[in-house]
Amino acid sequence: MAETKDKPRIGVFVCHCGHNIAGYLDVEKVAKQAAELPDVVFSVDEMFMCSDAGQQLIKDKIKELDLNRVVVASCSPRMHEPTFRRACEEAGLNRYMYDQVNLREHVSWCHQNEWDKATEKAWDLVRMSVARARKLESLPVKTVKVTPRTMIVGSGIAGLRAALDIAERGFDVVLVEKRSKLGGHVRNWTHLFPSDQTGAEVLKPMLREIKKNERITVMLDSKVTEFDGYIGNFEVTVTNQKTGKQQKLDIGTVIVTTGFEPFKPHGYYAYGDSPDIMTLAELQELPRSDTLVRPSDGKPVKKLVFIGCVGSREPGNPGHEHCSRYCCSATAKAAADLRKRVDEALILYQDVRTYGKGHEELQRLARSEHVIFSKFPREAKPKVEVIDGKIRVEWHDVLANVDLHVDADLLVLSSAMVPPEDIHETATMFSLTRSPDGFFNPEHIKLAPLTTHTAGVMIAGASQAAKNASEAVVDASGAAAKAVALMAAGEVEIESTVAHVIPEHCSACHTCVTACPYHAITVDTEQDPPVAVVTEAKCKGCGTCAAACPSGAILMYHSTDDQIMTMIEAYLCYTPEVEGGGTA
Amino acid sequence: MTAESKEVKTNTDWEPRIVAYCCNWCSYAGADLAGTSRIQYPTNVRIVRVNCTGRISPEFILAALDMGADGVLVSGCHPGDCHYTSGNLKARARWALMETALEQAGVDPRRIRLQWASAAEAQIFADGVRAITEQVRELGPIRREWK
Repeated sequence: MAETKDKPRIGVFVCHCGHNIAGYLDVEKVAKQAAELPDVVFSVDEMFMCSDAGQQLIKDKIKELDLNRVVVASCSPRMHEPTFRRACEEAGLNRYMYDQVNLREHVSWCHQNEWDKATEKAWDLVRMSVARARKLESLPVKTVKVTPRTMIVGSGIAGLRAALDIAERGFDVVLVEKRSKLGGHVRNWTHLFPSDQTGAEVLKPMLREIKKNERITVMLDSKVTEFDGYIGNFEVTVTNQKTGKQQKLDIGTVIVTTGFEPFKPHGYYAYGDSPDIMTLAELQELPRSDTLVRPSDGKPVKKLVFIGCVGSREPGNPGHEHCSRYCCSATAKAAADLRKRVDEALILYQDVRTYGKGHEELQRLARSEHVIFSKFPREAKPKVEVIDGKIRVEWHDVLANVDLHVDADLLVLSSAMVPPEDIHETATMFSLTRSPDGFFNPEHIKLAPLTTHTAGVMIAGASQAAKNASEAVVDASGAAAKAVALMAAGEVEIESTVAHVIPEHCSACHTCVTACPYHAITVDTEQDPPVAVVTEAKCKGCGTCAAACPSGAILMYHSTDDQIMTMIEAYLCYTPEVEGGGTA
Repeated sequence: MTAESKEVKTNTDWEPRIVAYCCNWCSYAGADLAGTSRIQYPTNVRIVRVNCTGRISPEFILAALDMGADGVLVSGCHPGDCHYTSGNLKARARWALMETALEQAGVDPRRIRLQWASAAEAQIFADGVRAITEQVRELGPIRREWK
C-alpha cells in the first residue's frame, strides 16, 4: 500500500484512564517528551482514550494531520487493541499501522508507589512503541469462506441442545458421540433438579427432534481421529470405534461438548470399602423405586447420610481446587426427595451454596422436610470407618461446637465434577488449552467464555467448567449462536500476521517445515531451486519458523525481527541529543 | 573484575535494565493480571510482546545484551499449555544452547532467565521479575563482560 512508503507521521495519545494511570505516573510529561521523538507530529494526554470522544480525537487527528501511524499509551492491548484498530480503520488507516503501549496493567497498577520510576518506565515503553510504529507496514485484511456445517463433539445435554439450535436455523450438523447412545450422563439420572423429572424424560423431546431433523447426522461409537485445516475450512476424519470405518468431512465450525466425569472418590470417606457407600451420581443411577434399600443386603435404609464437597474445594490439590457447583443443590434435592422413605436424613456440609434459580428453594424444601444439616470444619473433615459392615461417621459440628457420630445405612458422597479421562486427547486434537481445574480454557473468561484460542472451535457445557445441566444448556445455545453467526456471514476475516518466506534467502533446508506446529509450511520442489512455501490460512503466526530459520529467510508480518529489535534499541540506546530532542 | 566495574557495581544509582520477552497468550496476560491484581514488583523490566516464546530467536537475547541490557527474561506458557501447542518446547530446547553460548562469550548465564507463567499466574510472573532483577543487581552492570 502506498502509505507504507510514505514518511512516517505518528500520532501519540497518552491516556489517563481517569486516576488509573495518571494517579501513579506523570502522563503529561510522557506525552510532552513523546512530542520530541522523530516522526512524531502530534502527542497529547487525554482522560479516556477508549471513550467516544477519545476515539473521535484519533480519527480527527488522522484526518487533520495526515497521520499514518497511531500509538495509544493506555491499557493492555489485550483489552482495547481491537477498539483502537477499528477507530484507525474508520479514519482510513490500515489496522496494522496501530501500536499500543500498556501503561496501566504493566506500569501504573504494578508500580503504585514509585512515581518517578513508573514515569521513566512509561517513557521507555512509549519510546519503544514509537520506534516500532516507524517500522510498521500496512497489511491486507483477508477473508476465507465458511463451510456451512458444524461438528459437535459429545452428545450430552449441551451437545444435543447445540445440535438442535443450529439445525433449526438451517445449517447442517454432524453429531459425534464416542458412546453407543446419545444423552451423556443426564440420560442415566433419575432426579434432575430443580424440576422433578428423570434425565430420560428431559431428553426425550430433544432426542425425538434430533431423530426427525434431516439436517442432523448422528455418528455413534465414533471419535474424531484427524483434525486439520482452519476456521471455516476444517478437514475432519471421524473413525467408528467398532467397525474402524473412517469418514472424511468438511466442517466450518466445531463445538466441543465433551463434558465431565463424576469423580470416583477413592481414598475419601472409605469409598470402595462398602457397597453402601456411593457417590451422588451413583445414587442418581439407582432404579427409581418407592423404597430405598441398602445395596449390601437389600434391607431398607433407615439412616441416610450425605457428605458434601468430596474432592472439591481443596486448595493445593490440583484438579480438585474448584467448587463443582451442582452438588449443594443436587444434594438438598436428593435428601428432600428421599426423606419420607427413611427415618433420618442428614447432610454434612462444609458450606451450602445453593446459588441458582430455584436452588435456594430446594434447600428450604429439605429443611421443611426435616433433613438435618450439620456443618463440619474445613480443616477437620468427617471420619468414616466401616466396622463389621457398619458405616460409622464421626464429625465435629461447628455450630453446636460438639463432636457427633452416626451409624449410616447408606452414605452418599457428593463428589466433584472432573474432566473426562481422555480430555488430554481432545485438547491435543483441537489445540485447546486447559485451566488448573483441568477443563478447557475459554478465549476469555468474561468476554469470550464460549470461544477458544483455536478460531472456529467453541466449547460449551461441562467441558468448560463444572456446571449443572441448565447452565450447560445456556452455554450450548450461546455456542450454537456463535457457530451460526460465522456460517451465516459465510466468510470470516483471518489474521494477516503470518509467516512469509523470502525465496531468495531460502535454502530449502526444511528446518521450518519441522518447526511449524501446524504443518503450514511445505517445500515446493516444482520450483528450481526448491523453496519453502507458507499456506497462509493454516499459519497461526507463532513465528517459531522464523526463529528457527538459519538463513533468516522468514518474515513474520507485523512482528518482523526489525520491528522487534528497534524496540530494544529504543529502550537501551536512547540518547536525546542524537535523536534530536527530548528532556529525559 | 576491574576496579572500575566494581565501582559501578557499588554505585547505588545504578538500576538494572532488563528486557522481557513475553508470549501474548500466557505470560503477557499473566503480567496483565499482575497489574489488575495490583501485585507490586520491581520497575526494572520492559516487556516486549511476542506471539510465542517460539518466536524468540537467540539473536533477540544476544542483541539485547549486546545493546546493554543487564538481563533478559523470557516468559511463556507452561510446557503442554502453549497456545501454539509446542512453541515453548522449541524455546526450551534452544535455551540450553543459549546458556552455553553466553558462557563462552564471557557473559554470566545467570543474566538470562526462562520461566513459565500462565495467564492466571500473576504472582509467579511478578516473582520471576523480582528474581531476575535481584539476580542481575547482584551481578552488576553487564559492560565489559563480553570476551
